[in-house]
Amino acid sequence: MNLDANRSLIAAALGRIPAGDRAALQTVYRLTSAKLFGVCVRILGERAEAEDVLQEVYVTVWRKAADFDASRASPMTWLIALARNRSIDRLRASRVSRNMDPIDSATEVADMAAAADTALESVQEHARLHGCLDGLVSHERAALRGAFFDGNTYDDLAKRMNVPLGTMKSWIRRAMIKLKACLEQ
Amino acid sequence: MSETFDHNGLPDDELLAAELALGVLEGAERATAERRATRDRGFARLVEDWEHRLAPWAAEIAEISPPPQVWERISSALPAQPSRAGLWRNLTFWRGASLAAGALAAACLAALLYFGVFIQQQPLVATIEGGGQRHFVATIDSGRGTVAVVPAAFSPDATRVPELWLIPPDGRPRAVGMLHADQTVVLTLPPELAALAKNNAVLAVSLEPPGGSTTGLPTGPVIATGKLTSL
Repeated sequence: MNLDANRSLIAAALGRIPAGDRAALQTVYRLTSAKLFGVCVRILGERAEAEDVLQEVYVTVWRKAADFDASRASPMTWLIALARNRSIDRLRASRVSRNMDPIDSATEVADMAAAADTALESVQEHARLHGCLDGLVSHERAALRGAFFDGNTYDDLAKRMNVPLGTMKSWIRRAMIKLKACLEQ
Repeated sequence: MSETFDHNGLPDDELLAAELALGVLEGAERATAERRATRDRGFARLVEDWEHRLAPWAAEIAEISPPPQVWERISSALPAQPSRAGLWRNLTFWRGASLAAGALAAACLAALLYFGVFIQQQPLVATIEGGGQRHFVATIDSGRGTVAVVPAAFSPDATRVPELWLIPPDGRPRAVGMLHADQTVVLTLPPELAALAKNNAVLAVSLEPPGGSTTGLPTGPVIATGKLTSL
């Protein structure tokens, strides 16, 4: 499917939800639920809980679709942020971090993996982000990955990478500063 | 907004927004930052910008089709299709929430309903809610071209005031007027707005600087919405 067509289909369906159009929510669900469920499963590490969170995400979409501003955000950015935030809230509420295997940044291999799918986000955007992530020091990149994909806190990441909390905070902050500068070039 | 700079060269607000979007905060720090994002539009935009920068990374996460019962659960969790019974269930709920203002709103609604029936007009009603709370109840008298808005559980903001918007199915918000946190406001709908105030149009409340938005569109956060339903 044409990427822009898909994006505008999702945006248009989101725009019909505030008027109470259930079919529009179903359209959004049909086009996006597999991606968002993947995000929830990845962060929560567990399907049953991911199903609960996915339900919460779409009920929130139903209630908050009026907050989505198509002139400012891409619909997938908005939806992915919602799915990540809800999954992280659930993770924090359970007070158990599930993805806690030690991270050895020297052996990161999957890091430069190609996009698993390109149906929903623009290929160029992913390539651009990857180009900028490539410019980070490997331990900075590994820490950002743990946060983004595993929902780790600063504290979790410090434990996984076996460094003091303060060191982890400065790694992440420095990485974010470099990332922003690179993406704005 | 704070403009102090970290030794690393990004404003503190920007770093906090990045940390919130990335998800590394926990406990009170995360809760405080989340609350700020709901109240401070400038900060919320910084968070959105970071979400936008990071979102393309999710392309690496494999899609997994959720089992069909998830959609069934979502579908049954949505509010019932608009109906008299559905609305009264809602009324019962927010009256039960033991809000004095809610009870007052119910009384006003009942009075408006009574007059509505008496003069053979079909009033349109919207329960304007957001964040799990019913903030206002609005009743439109199409015959008179007025909308009466009763505050239910609206908590005022120190610097901003609530403004009412009508959003017809075309999705473009039309300014209706300013609301009051602790008294009923009756606003006149000009004929072009009255024509758009139909079943399934949405009423929304945003927080605006005193005097209201000057752009013709909401500039602050939309904190509550409700669909117009005929009784």
